[in-house]
Amino acid sequence: MPKLTIDDREIEVAGGTKVIEAAARLGIMIPRFCYHPALGSVGACRVCAVKVLEGPVKGVQMSCMLDAADGMQVSTTDREAVEFRRYVIEWLMMNHPHDCPVCDEGGHCLLQDMTVSGGHGIRRFPGKKRTYPDQDLGPLVQHEMNRCIHCYRCTRFYQQFCGYRDLGALSIGNRTYFGRVASGRLESPFSGNLSDICPTGVFTDKPSRYFGRRWDYQRTPTICINCSLGCHAVTSVRYRQVARQEARMSAAVNGWFLCDRGRYGFFYASLPGRPRQAAVKGETTTMDEAIAHARSRLETLPPDAIAVNGSARSSLEVLAMTERAARLKGWRGPAFFADAGAAHNVKTAIARLEEGLAVSLGEIGQADFILVVGADPINEAPMLALALRQAVQKGAGILVLDPRPVCLPFGFMHVPTAPEALGAVLGRLVKKSIGPAGLDGPAARFYASLPDEPATGQEVLARAAGLLAASRRPVIVCGTGIVASALVGLAADAALLLTAAQKKAGLFYILPEANSFASGLLAPPESTTDRILKAVVDGDVKALVFVENDPFATSPDRELLERALAKVELLVVLDYLDTPVSRRAHVFLPTQTLYESGGIFINQEGRAQYSAAAFAGGAPILETGGSDHPPRVYGTGLPGADPQPAGQIMAQLAGEPMASEIGARPEYFGGSTVSELAELPDVEAFPEEGQRLSPKNLPADRFKSVLPPSSAAESDELEIILTERTFGSEDLSSYSACLETREDEPLAGLHRRDAESLGIREGDGIAIRTGNTTLEFAVRVYDNMASGVMVVPRLQRLPWQGLGKRVRRQDIRKA
Amino acid sequence: MLPKEIKDRLEAEIRHVEHPRELAVDVMFAVQEHYGYLSDAALAEAAALLGMTPLELDELATFYTFTFREPVGKYVIHVCDSVVCWMNGYASVRDYLCRRLSIGMGETTADGLFTLLPVCCIGYCDRSPAMLVNRRVHGELTPEKIDGILAKLRREAESGAERPKVQGVDAITG
Ligand code: SF4
Ligand code: SF4
Ligand code: FES
Ligand code: FES
Repeated sequence: MPKLTIDDREIEVAGGTKVIEAAARLGIMIPRFCYHPALGSVGACRVCAVKVLEGPVKGVQMSCMLDAADGMQVSTTDREAVEFRRYVIEWLMMNHPHDCPVCDEGGHCLLQDMTVSGGHGIRRFPGKKRTYPDQDLGPLVQHEMNRCIHCYRCTRFYQQFCGYRDLGALSIGNRTYFGRVASGRLESPFSGNLSDICPTGVFTDKPSRYFGRRWDYQRTPTICINCSLGCHAVTSVRYRQVARQEARMSAAVNGWFLCDRGRYGFFYASLPGRPRQAAVKGETTTMDEAIAHARSRLETLPPDAIAVNGSARSSLEVLAMTERAARLKGWRGPAFFADAGAAHNVKTAIARLEEGLAVSLGEIGQADFILVVGADPINEAPMLALALRQAVQKGAGILVLDPRPVCLPFGFMHVPTAPEALGAVLGRLVKKSIGPAGLDGPAARFYASLPDEPATGQEVLARAAGLLAASRRPVIVCGTGIVASALVGLAADAALLLTAAQKKAGLFYILPEANSFASGLLAPPESTTDRILKAVVDGDVKALVFVENDPFATSPDRELLERALAKVELLVVLDYLDTPVSRRAHVFLPTQTLYESGGIFINQEGRAQYSAAAFAGGAPILETGGSDHPPRVYGTGLPGADPQPAGQIMAQLAGEPMASEIGARPEYFGGSTVSELAELPDVEAFPEEGQRLSPKNLPADRFKSVLPPSSAAESDELEIILTERTFGSEDLSSYSACLETREDEPLAGLHRRDAESLGIREGDGIAIRTGNTTLEFAVRVYDNMASGVMVVPRLQRLPWQGLGKRVRRQDIRKA
Repeated sequence: MLPKEIKDRLEAEIRHVEHPRELAVDVMFAVQEHYGYLSDAALAEAAALLGMTPLELDELATFYTFTFREPVGKYVIHVCDSVVCWMNGYASVRDYLCRRLSIGMGETTADGLFTLLPVCCIGYCDRSPAMLVNRRVHGELTPEKIDGILAKLRREAESGAERPKVQGVDAITG
């Protein structure tokens, strides 16, 4: 641990720490452009110069390139160093267009800060400035190349950190250009980070262009709820409008970055069509009247003729109050899951995520072998793909066992495996990679129960088994979307077995939605939306309450849903989205988004995180003023601020005392059936990195997984795998207009063998007859997917609900 | 589309190396040789052969002096634009060429014969000022010598001589 002195202050740092970081630990912010903690040092910009007074190499040195050494004496204020930095700034500014007044970076621009702090004010160079043409990079990122200082952060981030290959450094010397071969949408689903990472105004946030300076915004630390990872963000609000999101550093979760789904997934909150007024039978009214009306209607019904549905896009507060209301009133539900399969997968994952196994997203980057089973990271949890890539960069091997044509921004092994065979392949692989030696008790019995190597040993599997055998910190990543719950348990047992074999093994689940973990904790075991809908059709349930749940988006059985809605006598919908079901509600009650109410979300590793309220609510001024000056109406309230937190509305519907203020936890969690929740800290004191919940006792079913027998028989059916896409599947982000061009075409994927046997070629249209509907797709033919399945993207705009789980080959026709 | 022989030859060469990227410059030269310059389509074709994205190849194409992303004349004249030539009359050589050809640096004559470009030191400092014509080097340039070279090239072009190879080190002789 070298001990050094910087500006006469002593500090001890870990070996290998750069001087620029050591200084930061003392609170000394040495100027920097090219250096970034996530990207490391390249020494390209020369602005971090310091003077080494005592040390291995004396004189002016670049602090980002210099390892801290014992006894080193560094000065950041030495005249020579200060002058050096001033000259660097001067020449970096030589070609700069001096257009800060019209630059969106102004106000949070590193170049602006450095120019001012470097003391460069008067331009001395009389020559012409170099200029560049700009490119149209699509709807997310604005390009203004003239402001570039050639720090190379953008291309290092885009290509090396993320692994995308359509933006880089072109040309040479003074003409070096950062962009694409030609204008066009950036391909990376992490492109928005360019706006954060570029220290100048070359790349800026396009959707919020010219909407405000940083100091104009109300900026609040929030949590992304566009998938189950719960990345940390900063939300910027102006004029009652959520306008921009940026990444917020979190060592445990997302590091420095966000994916584009999360960064731009907020537009639903300020959408002009967002319903903000309560309505009874389509007539708008006050909240109090609508609630009173709903309550009096509910009171005329026997409690078990009322059923409640919630969803995993609600905060823990809303879920808990919904559960509490239903429990106290004897209503059915709440159902937080569409069907038993979905509920079972999530509950299994929660139960099996024991303390010693769970790893955070941040820890994934440290793994030396990662086995991804039944998961498609870039589509189901985008930032996981970036974390995996960091592990690969450090030498980790990655094996993906999944039926889909998984695509990731790095080299990996993929064994396309049919869903029912995933368990057997996983078991075989783990068995092959460790020996029976040293195992005893349940671990040994579980080991013995695993299948032995197959006769036809696949070469890739053998290689992966070798890497797994040699690894010390392997991690198993397991999806919960397309797999059977037996596999979810098996993944945990496989990780336990690796632990028994003296490895520091980790387990990482991907859950379907942002608050699936909380939903799984709180959902009563037997309640699911499909059962409730059936009970409506059977006449047992007369009233349906949907709390922030759009069954048209979540329910896989559209026909059942339609029949239930046609029959139900009372439909009460609480939501902040304008959905098909909210439009059909007898009583509609507008709720607050997370940006208005704040709330706790529990991510897929059980990390409860608090997202603070970003503003007080109300309709955007742009909307109330019709893009002009807001109306000169005098009053005390905010226009469009009727929406209430859904939890409070539920409390009123149930006639319970209302939680008086947000964060009054006892009222939400006090009587909760889940004891861990009562131990959550107060929201004001919530730790930055959240708090991990894990089961109190070790799960009872450790080492009890049984492999389902896999049937290898050729079937005359294809199994349909509905698969989430990065863009266009997730509910909230599908309201963001700027992400529309990022959505995939609705293509159906087939393995080459299946396509050939059906006489179908790439690009052909097919029509699939199921029940009484016919759906049409263009076909994409793959070699790197399992045969016997058809992969269909679960896009919001695609009526996938009609597809069912299997399709007979004879029902597939060329269109 | 590249003719089959060229494509087959390049593919065979690429198969022989461990990292196709190693051959990026050779492939770009071969494709440029065929099309005259690297159009966007040619760049994409070359990138596909190498398993690179067009951007990745363009990072190299725009970095190097002898790969052209825009159409060039039959004869590309690279005037040395570095220290020793500066001392020995680079500016007058450049101005003379511009005047005689009635074009500026970076431009191509209307008849499509000549393109003028600057280049950094070509290692001919002992006989500076110097220039390259289709990568053949000419030193100790004077107005008379330049006139002679241009006249010879014009005659050669009129006689319909084959486009001189721009590829390969053997073309660079005194
Ligand atoms: S565009 Fe921005 S990040 Fe990229 S080199 Fe220029 S200043 Fe640096
Ligand atoms: S990975 Fe998930 S949580 Fe993270 S930013 Fe993207 S959508 Fe949000
Ligand atoms: S930050 Fe050190 S050289 Fe750029
Ligand atoms: S400087 Fe012109 S050849 Fe070296």
